[in-house]
Amino acid sequence: MTRTSASPLSAGTPERTRFTAVLRAEWTKFRTVRGWVIAPVIAALLCIMFAYLVANGTHTDFCTGAGNCKAGHPFVPTGPNGQAVADSYYTVGRQLTGDGTITTQVTSLTGVISTAMTNVAPSQAQQTRPGLAAWAKAGILARPSTRQGSAYAAVMATGGHGDRFQYNYSHDNPGRSGPVSTSSPRWLRLTRTGDTLTGYDSTNGTTWTRIGAAHLTGLPVTVHVGLFVTSPVSFQTSASGSRTLATATFDHTIIDGHTTPNAWHGQSIGARQQDFYPTLRVGSYQRADSSLVISGSGDIAPAVVQGLLGADTAASSLPFGLTVALIVIIVVATMFITAEYRRGLIRITFAAIPGRRRVLAAKAAVIGAVAFVTAAAAATVAISLGERILQANGAYVFPASASTVVRIIAGTAALATVTAVAVLAVGAITRRSAAAVATGIVVFVLPSIIGSISSGGAVQWLYRLTPAAGLSVLQALPRSAQVDYPYTFANGYYPLAPWAGLGVLTAWAALALGIAAVVLRRRDA
Amino acid sequence: MNDAVIEVTGLRKRFGPTLALGGVTFTAPPGKVTGFIGPNGAGKSTTIRVILGLDAPDEGRVRVGGHPYQDLRNPLRHVGALIDAAAVQPSRTARNHLLWLARSQALKAGRVDAVLELVGLAAAARRRAGGFSLGMRQRLGIAAAMLGDPPVVILDEPFNGMDPEGIVWMRKLLRTLAAEGRALLVSSHLMSELQGIADHIVVIGRGKVLADAGIDELLARAAGEQVLLQTPTPAEAARVLHRAGGATTILDDSTLSVSGLAARQVVEALGQSGVVFSEVTTQRATLEDVYFQLTSGEAEFRTEAGQGAQR
Amino acid sequence: MIEALRAEWTKTRTTGGTAWLLTGAVAVTIAVSAGSAAATHVSPQSGQEDPTKLALAGIYLGQAVIAVFAVLTIAEEYDTGMIRVSLAAMPHRLILLTAKAATTTALALAAGILAVTGCLLVGRLMLPDAGLDPAHGYPLITISHSPTLRAASGSVCYLVLIALLALGVATAIRDTAPSIAVVLGLLYLPPLLAQAFTEPLRRHIEQIAPMTAGLAIQATTNPHSQPIAPWAGLGVLTAWAAASLLIAALLLRLRDA
Repeated sequence: MTRTSASPLSAGTPERTRFTAVLRAEWTKFRTVRGWVIAPVIAALLCIMFAYLVANGTHTDFCTGAGNCKAGHPFVPTGPNGQAVADSYYTVGRQLTGDGTITTQVTSLTGVISTAMTNVAPSQAQQTRPGLAAWAKAGILARPSTRQGSAYAAVMATGGHGDRFQYNYSHDNPGRSGPVSTSSPRWLRLTRTGDTLTGYDSTNGTTWTRIGAAHLTGLPVTVHVGLFVTSPVSFQTSASGSRTLATATFDHTIIDGHTTPNAWHGQSIGARQQDFYPTLRVGSYQRADSSLVISGSGDIAPAVVQGLLGADTAASSLPFGLTVALIVIIVVATMFITAEYRRGLIRITFAAIPGRRRVLAAKAAVIGAVAFVTAAAAATVAISLGERILQANGAYVFPASASTVVRIIAGTAALATVTAVAVLAVGAITRRSAAAVATGIVVFVLPSIIGSISSGGAVQWLYRLTPAAGLSVLQALPRSAQVDYPYTFANGYYPLAPWAGLGVLTAWAALALGIAAVVLRRRDA
Repeated sequence: MNDAVIEVTGLRKRFGPTLALGGVTFTAPPGKVTGFIGPNGAGKSTTIRVILGLDAPDEGRVRVGGHPYQDLRNPLRHVGALIDAAAVQPSRTARNHLLWLARSQALKAGRVDAVLELVGLAAAARRRAGGFSLGMRQRLGIAAAMLGDPPVVILDEPFNGMDPEGIVWMRKLLRTLAAEGRALLVSSHLMSELQGIADHIVVIGRGKVLADAGIDELLARAAGEQVLLQTPTPAEAARVLHRAGGATTILDDSTLSVSGLAARQVVEALGQSGVVFSEVTTQRATLEDVYFQLTSGEAEFRTEAGQGAQR
Repeated sequence: MIEALRAEWTKTRTTGGTAWLLTGAVAVTIAVSAGSAAATHVSPQSGQEDPTKLALAGIYLGQAVIAVFAVLTIAEEYDTGMIRVSLAAMPHRLILLTAKAATTTALALAAGILAVTGCLLVGRLMLPDAGLDPAHGYPLITISHSPTLRAASGSVCYLVLIALLALGVATAIRDTAPSIAVVLGLLYLPPLLAQAFTEPLRRHIEQIAPMTAGLAIQATTNPHSQPIAPWAGLGVLTAWAAASLLIAALLLRLRDA
């Protein structure tokens, strides 16, 4: 506040009005117009009301393949960190007590892809064509139990991502790259030492390369170990995905350690009707000479599948109400400045406080604070209310950590603040309500609508480049590099990370504010 | 029936809890300037809006040239009004502003140039009205009022923002228009502006008509003469004049106003007591005095200083 | 009435913003259509596309400019207080509103015809590059194709009706900023709300919302994908515009200026 203003009116003014005084003046202006005080309250109430309506309008019906639909949602496993996971595969295994090592050779990995989309019943999806999903997995798995969502570590060959060592759904270490075939088989080894599981791969079965290790705290003495095959939904040919099935041949399987005496035991995990993850069919295994041929469908990975599950997040009832609230805030922010121009009050303001940029700063602070409080309060209530009603309606609510919820609330408040300031700046530049209000609304609402009507990439760019990128703060669903999924707007993913999106909006606001500051200084009041 | 007359009968209007008009009745006769005066908030603008059909009265009626305003075909040819000089869209030029008004009354564009000439805006005709000074906007408003060459002219605060030259011009214009036989209703809260041009005065306060009379009658009704006395010792002079039977008000530290005594009696009393004085003048009642007498207690917004000055 | 019409026409003609807004509406509509045509890449698997509807995508944004124009025709008079001058000159308020509606209709019609023609030309020239060419079973856009003619004339009507809806709202609200917010909210929010709901509620919202119902007229290939039949949808929008003007007329008559 020590910089001198070049405002013509302030020239020769010995003392400058303190910023707090300017701030108080603007705050008094704001709170003494009844409509401006009521509007944010209405904005918050509208936001909450629409969150309630949206949550209430969402009814999940859970349909089985036989066409029986009932209220409620399919079963979604919860992983060790509380995250939603996919955990469906076919395994052939036994119990291992104490330390031990399992070694196997994968000699082939092939697959089929359903020609139908995932949204048809599995019984109608049986027509297939050859094709291997990039994240089809075949390898060795060790876990305390076969309960879905329990901890695990696995070393595997994949359809298109080479060898991998993965554990607890979200951890992934790459090994040797390249596909598996009879001419280029792959050796895999998983070793258990205490709580530590280590994965290796090899091309010849003699020289081993360590891929990664996992420390699974509290691993019981006896664990399930086995060979497994799974194959996730493929989105290569259709936006709604197709079920797949992979088949792998394992040779030279050796378990070195204290195992149960009974023979290999085949088990299908997560392919029941109530399981959410789409599988082509229940897997199977057969013994041929010394080798074991296993086929499986599903995935062991984080669940990122709003499109598959129709799942809601804690914040999913918020966006519409927030948009309504933003429109109200945009109107108030616009009028906070244009009303002064309309009646010539701006001249009195600038005569009283010659530092025009400080007036702009004070106005921005006041309207920003109002928007912040309004949005923060509305989002807090709307999210918890929405979550409660969604659950009451039987919808599956994607688990979100407390930090995610706090981030969404803080992000929403920041979004409203920056929007209000940007619109204020546009109002200062244009001095007219029409431009500021129309721009504000079109910018925030239109991309969502275009996103819903066009499948093209245009909408992705709208959410990268336009101020609408700020809506990225609403992102609640996690992404995962281990899942091939169209992370598009239509599937609930903004193209930018939350804070990056807010950054884009802030850049626009800063630009508008900068232009406003220059224009205010140069222009006669 | 003469076209040039405004008859207002028993207007009542309430805005929520405030009574804006409490039975306003008056007539603005042809060929005369009717001064419509009253303090701020007295109901002048509301009355004018009701006359122009902008606000609907709760009770009462208005006739312009014998007809309700709504029944006038091309009303601006019957009534010209200046209500709010700022009420122009800033992006439009003065000429275009008058042009759309002319179109609304089926008037020729030539009429626009004529009234622009009349109000002295011909040179600024193609400038955007947004850049006009208040005085120029007033002239534009007068031009709009005169566009239809109406027999009735209503001007709300026409002197606002006018420079001395403009005021002289306006007074002359008003006299001319009245002389042409039109009925003029000119509102103002400044009495001095209307002195010398108004033939007839309607004083309004708190929504009621306090006086409705010719200007001479009104002046005659006002309190009698006052004597202004210049003296270095006003307090002493006041004591002496009290004893002589006068009522006094000390205006400043060298001026005293005396009522109840003629100038001759004042000079006598002071001479006998040896009080020094430099000047004695007799003051006739002005429209201002009448106004203050009528509206004291009627103003909605009055300051301490204002109250003092009204004595 | 003829005087009121001439007055309103003069007003609109001599306001600086009119030409800019209408040119802007046409430009924005065509530009968005061109942009979305450029961004479209149709792969053989992506199902049946509707080239005409794609070409008219600019209406989504263009209507906002038309709405702003219609709001300003009356709200700006309220902002400046000039409405009193207008009403003193034209004391029959319904005539004033009718005259405003007529000039707004005429100008929105002119802008709409230009914008829609431009969009169709853009579609005809650019969409073949996006894979929508006769070789892939998509004939070039032509007005002699009756569903295309329906979509084109319907889109023009749509813009006119949006302008009338906006005029009514602005007359009722009498303030620029809230009027624009209400009109744009009325247009853009219901489709968003519909997305948040599951069937059949979603369809019902789309059937009664002014934009989704009105734009059903743009469909030329598979009308059953639309929430409502083409002309019926435009009828819904007409009802919205009529209701808005009716309320506006009522309030204009009852309220003090």
